[in-house]
Amino acid sequence: MPPEAILRPNGDVFDYLAHFGFVPEYRACMEARQIPTGPGSLAGRALVHAKPVQITDVLRDPDFTLPKAAKIGGQRTILGDPLLREGTPIGVITLQRKTVQPFEDKQIELLTTFADQAIIAIENTRLFEEVQARTRELAKTIDHLEFASRHKSQFVANMSHELRTPLAASLGYAELMQEGFYGPPDQKSLDALTRIRASGKHLLGLINTVLDIAKIESDQFTLNMADYTIESMVETVRSAAGSLAQDKQLALKTDVAKSLPVGLGDELRLTQVLLNLVGNAIKFTDAGEVWVAATAANGHFTITVADTGPGIPEAHLARIFEQFRQVDSSNTKAKGGTGLGLAIAREIVEMHGGRLWVDSTLGKGSTFEMELPIRAEFHKRVP
Amino acid sequence: MSKRILVIEDQEDLRGVLRDLLTGSGYAVLEAADGEAGVASAKSEHPDLILMDIQMPVLDGYEATRRIKADPALKPIPIVAVSSFAMKGDEEKARAAGCDHYVTKPYSPMQLLKVIKGFVP
Repeated sequence: MPPEAILRPNGDVFDYLAHFGFVPEYRACMEARQIPTGPGSLAGRALVHAKPVQITDVLRDPDFTLPKAAKIGGQRTILGDPLLREGTPIGVITLQRKTVQPFEDKQIELLTTFADQAIIAIENTRLFEEVQARTRELAKTIDHLEFASRHKSQFVANMSHELRTPLAASLGYAELMQEGFYGPPDQKSLDALTRIRASGKHLLGLINTVLDIAKIESDQFTLNMADYTIESMVETVRSAAGSLAQDKQLALKTDVAKSLPVGLGDELRLTQVLLNLVGNAIKFTDAGEVWVAATAANGHFTITVADTGPGIPEAHLARIFEQFRQVDSSNTKAKGGTGLGLAIAREIVEMHGGRLWVDSTLGKGSTFEMELPIRAEFHKRVP
Repeated sequence: MSKRILVIEDQEDLRGVLRDLLTGSGYAVLEAADGEAGVASAKSEHPDLILMDIQMPVLDGYEATRRIKADPALKPIPIVAVSSFAMKGDEEKARAAGCDHYVTKPYSPMQLLKVIKGFVP
């Protein structure tokens, strides 16, 4: 086996990628002086011609500029074949003989075949390394993003908690004033205090909503599983939302099937979901009615909240469960709300292993339907 | 002589609400701003009831409650826990520490007063 090498051009010189059979003196010599890419070297010539190049006797070639090194290496006949990637040489493979003995066409052909295989292998390795590097970069970016997101959620969770303390104090003082702890209030003061308390409770609701989202996103949101009945849940929602419906002169109807089984789930959170759906229905409906129906079949409750409101355009149906979405921002201004309620509602239902979806016809109304395992288990959220 | 209630709460604003609520309802109010000061005050003052915040610096409400309930002379004093976190297991933890009742923030002062009157009329 004659000495051989693979070289890669690097600016004006070549780097040795691999070599075999070099005597140590030659290796030291070649490492000390780099091989130029011009026609003075075999590799340079192969690069220039972009095809196999043979120097029959390096000691008799007038253009060869490395005869000293060749003497140390004991070379006479040398053969170089460029490694071409899509026509561009990215390296040179060389074979050397210690005697003057030209390589035959068949041998040159063999080297060319080998060079073609080598370029494929080199190219694959390069691509593989590139993919690996990109993957590492991507993993790093994802890590950073996840850290930032968790950090943000933790911050929001802490902040919401901090906001609640002064708000609780304001609400507390307003109640004491209303109750006459600081002297009997007149009617005007009583009205103002009622408004202060209502606004404060509204603000508290908004803060709690933001806190819920932050808890969900930082995986601190868990369910308190216990027995509950749909009847009492619907009743709670009816009494909480009844006055809202009355204010808008809407009929709030409930239709709960008789003798429904006892459910297992987080009653407080499920009530929150139902209250959100009913509250939305009342908020967006200007005339007609809102009704709540509940049935059970095949191990699942089906709870429906339907309204005679304006309906939701089809293009928006899928997006209303996303965070911060209302059909359009003018709605947010007109109807209020954070656009977080439905996102939280869906998370809560899915954590119970259930589903929440909506059907709507523009101009006719919307129907939100929730399918809930009667005996639910806590399903960890998949972000 | 009016009954004495020890309010252990780190937030001055909330102590203010409780002070006005309780003095306005005929109770005498003692105050402490952290768990350790609360335990010391319980030992020296022997109040008739303790309102215990859970989240506090120095010594939290769970540990303060355990220390008070570990003292045979103080054990009969009812402790009402007031927690800002309506988190799973908080009520169980408060009761396990020895709290006699549990209220979640934000509470309505009038509702809290009802709970207190149930223990100390």
